[in-house]
Amino acid sequence: MAELNIVEKVIALEAVELLKNLTPDQLSRIASIAREVKYPPGKTILDPNQSLDALYVIVDGAVEITRNGQVVLVARQYDVLGSWALFDDEPIAVTAKTVEDTQLLRIARDDFFDLLSDNMEIAASIFSTLVKRFRKLVEQQA
Amino acid sequence: MFDVRRGELTRTILMALYLMFVLFSYYILKNVSRAMFLNKFDVNKLPWLWILMAAIGGFIAYFYSRFAVKSSLTHAVAWTTALSVGSLLIIWWVLRFNFWWMLYVFNIWVSLFSIVLVSQGWLVAANVFNSREAKRLYGILGLGAIIGAGFGSYFTRVTVELVGTDNLLFVAALLVVLSYLAFRGVAARTEMPLATARAAKEPPPAFMFQDILTALGRYRHLQAIAAIIVITYMLEVTVDFQFSQVAKAAYPDKERLTAFLGSFSLWMVMVEFLLQFFLTPLMLSRIGVGGTLQIPAVTVGLASLATFWWPSLFSTGAARLTEESTRYTFHRTSMELLYLPLPAELKNRTKVFLDIFGDRLARGLGGLLLILLTSVLRFEVRYIALVALAMCLIGLVLTTKARREYVETVRRRLAMRRLDLEEIRISVQDKSTVTLLEQTVLSPSPRQAAYALSLLAEIQGYSLEPLLQKLAASSAPDLRAQVYEVARRSTYGELLDQALAEIRSARPGESSPSVKPAVAYALSVTPEDTDLASRLLEHPCPLVAEGVLEALAQRPDFAHALITREWLAGASTDPRPERRRLAAIAIGVRGSEDPGTLRRLLDDSDLRVAQAACRAAGVLKNRDYLEALIQRLADARLRSAAIDALASYGAGITGALSDLLVDERAPMASRRQAPRVLRLIPEQRSVDALLAALALPSLVIRSAVLRALNRLREVAPQLDYKAESLTQHILDDVRYYYRLSAALAPFRAHKNLKSATGLLAHTLEERLKHTLERLFRLLGLRYPPAEMHAAYLAVHHGGVQEYSTAIEFLDNILERDLKRFLLPLLDASGNFERGLEIFGIEAQTPEAAIRDLIGSDDTWLVACAMAAAAELGFRALIPEIRQASRNASDEVGAVGHAAVATLT
Repeated sequence: MAELNIVEKVIALEAVELLKNLTPDQLSRIASIAREVKYPPGKTILDPNQSLDALYVIVDGAVEITRNGQVVLVARQYDVLGSWALFDDEPIAVTAKTVEDTQLLRIARDDFFDLLSDNMEIAASIFSTLVKRFRKLVEQQA
Repeated sequence: MFDVRRGELTRTILMALYLMFVLFSYYILKNVSRAMFLNKFDVNKLPWLWILMAAIGGFIAYFYSRFAVKSSLTHAVAWTTALSVGSLLIIWWVLRFNFWWMLYVFNIWVSLFSIVLVSQGWLVAANVFNSREAKRLYGILGLGAIIGAGFGSYFTRVTVELVGTDNLLFVAALLVVLSYLAFRGVAARTEMPLATARAAKEPPPAFMFQDILTALGRYRHLQAIAAIIVITYMLEVTVDFQFSQVAKAAYPDKERLTAFLGSFSLWMVMVEFLLQFFLTPLMLSRIGVGGTLQIPAVTVGLASLATFWWPSLFSTGAARLTEESTRYTFHRTSMELLYLPLPAELKNRTKVFLDIFGDRLARGLGGLLLILLTSVLRFEVRYIALVALAMCLIGLVLTTKARREYVETVRRRLAMRRLDLEEIRISVQDKSTVTLLEQTVLSPSPRQAAYALSLLAEIQGYSLEPLLQKLAASSAPDLRAQVYEVARRSTYGELLDQALAEIRSARPGESSPSVKPAVAYALSVTPEDTDLASRLLEHPCPLVAEGVLEALAQRPDFAHALITREWLAGASTDPRPERRRLAAIAIGVRGSEDPGTLRRLLDDSDLRVAQAACRAAGVLKNRDYLEALIQRLADARLRSAAIDALASYGAGITGALSDLLVDERAPMASRRQAPRVLRLIPEQRSVDALLAALALPSLVIRSAVLRALNRLREVAPQLDYKAESLTQHILDDVRYYYRLSAALAPFRAHKNLKSATGLLAHTLEERLKHTLERLFRLLGLRYPPAEMHAAYLAVHHGGVQEYSTAIEFLDNILERDLKRFLLPLLDASGNFERGLEIFGIEAQTPEAAIRDLIGSDDTWLVACAMAAAAELGFRALIPEIRQASRNASDEVGAVGHAAVATLT
């Protein structure tokens, strides 16, 4: 698997629900802090006993998500793992483990906040997405 | 009697003279125009005149306010003076020909004179004095206005039979010229340049009758206000009609009628003076807004009853005298207060509407009623007096209801802490408001209590001492903080022991909001301030020392003596960050002989120290710190403090900021903040620096520059935004828009975002959106910003109807050259191609479009285009990709290398 260039990273990031309101330029700034990581099969990415500090986007490969030992789904290309990790470090109640050679983009929370502090318009777009999502939830509850 | 402070005397006298001359002139014209009308026509024509005045006056007042908001106050006063003098001379000349219609014109013109010149006089006062000064000094201005009205009336009475009614117009014209000279004197002595102040505070809100009706339906308090206005002005014309009829019968000769009206006005002015200065404050404090509002209804009702029993010049004169004198005093002051508890936005909108249309509509209705009563029902004066009596009874019911609504609304607003007494320019002495505030001060909610205390402190003549004593023992620090603040401002010295106890109990790490106000208060009232300040400066609680430093900021000599070099050297190198922060604050207060100290603190690793150092640099405005502050713009944590500090340097640093903007070696994080500083400096040099940066290639910088320019246009519309250069920028962006559209055309079908071609199409679409926004921002610098913003929203987000309205609006407002290029770009009906033709841009193949994009200077588009070329297999573009990769950053270069690898 070749190294990803910035355009390929942006294409991968366009799949992230949380970032869907961002323009390609803004995504390119996030892409510049997204680090490429490659894991062999059997590597645990999310652990219910450990706090989260990064979001992952699968670029290639597959990751099995289990809850209490039961397989919930197998995540593949452009699926996102730990999307709330950018705002909340609480562990989530699932385990994510690679089932084959897997290439991911990792966005660390600290880098993300540094980026937001210099790019208010990115923060505003993300707030907008969160508010829309929240509004949808409220409407579903009503 | 009047609290005039140093530096205010000349300004106040000139302002009072200005108003005096305006009113002097108006009272001559008012009596002359009425006497001429009554002498020429039957009194039954008066209602028609009022209807005309209402209709024409309303329109002119509205359009004048729209003109005024675009003009500076100095220009507006100069123009209205010139027009007034010119009109008076023309009217004098035309009156010699005895055209009957000229008397209608003259009377309507005089009503406009009162709308424009008198209200303009008070607007000048509002710009010359702030709200605190206004509360102390408006009494003197009111006195000047009343003396002017008295002189006008007296002068008319004694000179009319000597010089003749018509010739008094010359005197009025001369007085308008004198008022202008007084205005020039005021303008030369005022701190706020009147040349830059607007001739109207706000554009008239875009009120629609539907909005006003909705507001009236929703707020019962507003219903009461509107109903009182309508009944008051209907009553005015009804009473005026009776008086005019009897006066005309008593004085058939023109000059004698003019003299009589002059004498009557003089009496009226004297009564108004007595009522305004002695009785209105007393009545408000004794019987409150509701009771005071009922006085006009009761007194006019009694006089109308007398007219019914004994219709005479005396009884109708009494009704007229009580009606006008109580309307200008009790009624006007109470009505100002009645608006007070309404939400600010609603108040502004509805008050403007009611001021412009309410009273005129009511006078027009009154005119119609009088036509019905006199021409159809043939009522005599005594029966018209009965109608006036009925109106007074309705007025009594309405004012009772208004009082109830007022108290309820004040209570609600107080609970929400949304009552602003400081904003209004009269002193609140209303009994019910004061009682409510006193109750709230003792309520269990400390924040509401503190708020109510701050409002009570705004009331002139209110004795706060017993309350302050009681509240100083409160357990709520928020409330105690307000107590010390109010006590300090009112120089009440009896809380020193409580303040010292508060300071003694402060511990390190203390964050109570009452500590600093207690320190400021103690230092302001103790006779041993030097000793106390030097002891508190070493207090273990940093908040106490900070309070001392803030208090010293108001007393620079004292600060210099107290904060020694040794103290500064020790504190600035102290290992504890709290002490270093104090050192930074102290440098802001007294300066520093060694610039290196503050530079070191600006570099401090502790955020709070560095922030305090930024603020200190902003206070000192020393250019030694400029570079360090500019560097801090790149640090998100210090950015806000650095921007404020730089902005406080003022126009002197616009050159440095301009250099930063164009310096491509400077970090982008700093460069893009420069416009944020410039927009806080509303000077021509800021505008020039920003306009120069509009030509920069970086879209990020240009967006920031445009946002700053738009903000400056809002706060400083009088600056020159260089229309010609803006037109060129607009045309450049229009051309760019067409070029991008032509580049996008071959890829519009590529909706797959997970491909490089899809990403390229998406990026081009985003660029188009941003270019459109930029275009409207540029248009907002040349045309009215609010209207351009509305047009942008309609074009960008609106439905079909809004879109068409926006296009039509732009078609009407844009100048021909801009319209020719811009409208095809916005037109969805196939004219877009015409725009392409105008710029000579041809349709492109996908390969040609990508080639152009690879050759562009837009880095991200270059990256997307190279990736798309690889995806689409455009081997012919390999040389362009190689060339672009060589000149690009590492990230974009990597895309180029990957593209070449795929294609070879």
